[in-house]
Amino acid sequence: MMNKRSTTQSVILYALVLALVIFCVFPFLQILSTSLKHPIDWGNPSLIPRVLHLDAYKELLGLMPAKEVDVPASVQRLLDNPALSAEKKQMLLDKFSAGGDVFPFGRYMLNTFVISFVTGICSTFLASLAAYAIARLRFPAQSLMANGVLFVYMVGGVLLMVPLYQMSVNVGLASSAAGTIFSLFLIYLIQTLPVAMYMLGNYFRTIPFSLEEAAMMDGCSRVEAFWRIIMPLSKPMLFTVFIYCFVIAWNEYLFASVFLKQYQDFQTLPLALQTLFTSKNAIWDRIMAASMLTLLPVVICFMLANKHLSGGLTDGGVKG
Amino acid sequence: MSSVILRNVNKSYGNLPIVKNLNLEVKDGEFVVLVGPSGCGKSTTLRMVAGLEDITQGEIQIGSRAINDLPPHKRNIAMVFQNYALYPHMSVRENIVFGLKKSGADAETIKEKLADVSEMLKLDDYLDRKPADLSGGQRQRVAMGRALARDADVYLFDEPLSNLDAKLRHHMRTEIARIQHQYNMTAIYVTHDQIEAMTLGDRVVVMRDGIVEQVGTPMEIYLQPTNTFVATFIGSPAMNLIEAKIEGEDLVFDNYRLPAAKIANVDLQDLKSHDTVLVGIRPDFFEDSALSSPSDNLFEFNDIQVELVENLGFDKEIMFKLGGEDAKARLDLRSHVKRQENISMSVDLNRVLLFDTSPQGMLLNTGEV
Ligand SMILES: Nc1ncnc2c1ncn2[C@@H]1O[C@H](COP(=O)(O)OP(=O)(O)O)[C@@H](O)[C@H]1O
Ligand SMILES: [Mg+2]
Repeated sequence: MMNKRSTTQSVILYALVLALVIFCVFPFLQILSTSLKHPIDWGNPSLIPRVLHLDAYKELLGLMPAKEVDVPASVQRLLDNPALSAEKKQMLLDKFSAGGDVFPFGRYMLNTFVISFVTGICSTFLASLAAYAIARLRFPAQSLMANGVLFVYMVGGVLLMVPLYQMSVNVGLASSAAGTIFSLFLIYLIQTLPVAMYMLGNYFRTIPFSLEEAAMMDGCSRVEAFWRIIMPLSKPMLFTVFIYCFVIAWNEYLFASVFLKQYQDFQTLPLALQTLFTSKNAIWDRIMAASMLTLLPVVICFMLANKHLSGGLTDGGVKG
Repeated sequence: MSSVILRNVNKSYGNLPIVKNLNLEVKDGEFVVLVGPSGCGKSTTLRMVAGLEDITQGEIQIGSRAINDLPPHKRNIAMVFQNYALYPHMSVRENIVFGLKKSGADAETIKEKLADVSEMLKLDDYLDRKPADLSGGQRQRVAMGRALARDADVYLFDEPLSNLDAKLRHHMRTEIARIQHQYNMTAIYVTHDQIEAMTLGDRVVVMRDGIVEQVGTPMEIYLQPTNTFVATFIGSPAMNLIEAKIEGEDLVFDNYRLPAAKIANVDLQDLKSHDTVLVGIRPDFFEDSALSSPSDNLFEFNDIQVELVENLGFDKEIMFKLGGEDAKARLDLRSHVKRQENISMSVDLNRVLLFDTSPQGMLLNTGEV
């Protein structure tokens, strides 16, 4: 009797879990499916493409063979003219080539990766120093500072967008691509630091202080104890925090859209995707393939984080 | 190795004094045990020596240098923590050599020390394990090993055995005593366990509420406790304290009259200035009169009604009333007394102590016992 009831219970449980998972995963399946469909297949409501069509991916990743340039005969004659410089010829050719059609996905991905990676590293580093101070040291206005950083979250990004842009213009950063990217980096840092600090601070508090004291007795200064004991013990959390910051920066759209509007070459993926969606290149499979490729690093990050998070590192050090 | 000197050391948290005017000199190569009830400031004292707690007032000196303002990592002190505080991300081997490496020892020395320590503490089979994969006793040994591997001036132990079960505790106590004799280290050892204090210390410091009550060798503390606190804290079962009236030269309680003149080192003139005193008799000093050889300095407690007998194997503890108070005696297995029976027990008056009835209960016997 008991056994049967628990079987029913578990069936219901699994059904509910499955429903939830499907509900969450469905949009992603849809993206994946569409990105793999041939244009003739788009009307087909089935998630499974009739034929696997990888052209969209190949195109985005620059694996398509270069298209033959279709040049009218009159222009061809001009090109054949040896008096024309090579440079001019190329300009002419470009007019007819598919240049405007190419979406420099690799470039955007690199842009995004660099700024996300740098944000992740810097934010994790700064947050660990700040979190240590807040978790371990005593100084005036400590709790004010600890809680004050969370204030960033009370103000929505939209409200800050214009003032921040204005500030970076006033300071002169917005006048160059490098400066703009730097101010964007600063903004990402500010956006990710509070939560990063909060996560690391809470983690540091779980590390017994006597471990640091033991290190000090063993001849480490406080700073050395931080690097040799606290940091290695916090690896899983540092990694998680890095991924958190990385993903935030990877997906950020709002500030990027304002700051990078005029610097086409330095746009990040969310921004570029938006451009792609509204351009004449808005072709379903390509949009979906681009979305899929944008998602991929995030998914990989989460899978790595998951793997690293199992098992507490601080087990076994202290007793009592 | 070095001596440690604490001069008028005070520690307060806010306005709350925790350690009050502590003076202590630990000689080079001496093993001193700080003992006292929980919360009396033993750990705080130890941590001040270590530099983990700053000193509110006073001076601490190691060798000939004052270390008040020296950060912990520059004091060259090794410490075993109550909770072991092993580095969880390092193997046993790495834990043990961490401090040595930090001090810049060369590879040869490190190797030797590691072999030395791991052999002595029987850690050879665990060197590659992480602390999480060790039992409590093994972790304790690693913690000891980490301190002993160091070439420190002073070794500090903060209740290193308190987390072990009774059997292991006894074993490790013996080990520590052995190691101490082998290394001849200057050490301060904190414990609330009076047996550890008695068995390990070259000298014992008894503390209460941040005050040093007595400093002395274990036998001095046992035989000549300066006051009733030390008398009852050291020794198990605790010393019996019986209030007695002074009538002439006799100490009177129940229907017993103890001749004060036969009690060692008592100034009779001084005694007469008191109305009442506390008579202190250790349970161990009672003998079954039927078994004791007669001597003129024995005092006999006749016809004592035994309330309870606890058999401990070789020993038995006997509970009875003396001067209206619960009292205990420890007899050996030759006595066959049972509960509710009567027994006569005798006490060597040389072993009897007298305390005044002031709140401190100061010892009235003077000189050597
Ligand atoms: N950081 C602190 N703030 C206030 N009081 C403290 C602090 N640390 C210890 N104490 C108090 O100091 C007293 C002595 O503590 P401790 O030295 O740890 O005693 P023990 O003799 O048991 O080792 C205790 O009453 C404890 O409550
Ligand atoms: Mg303590």
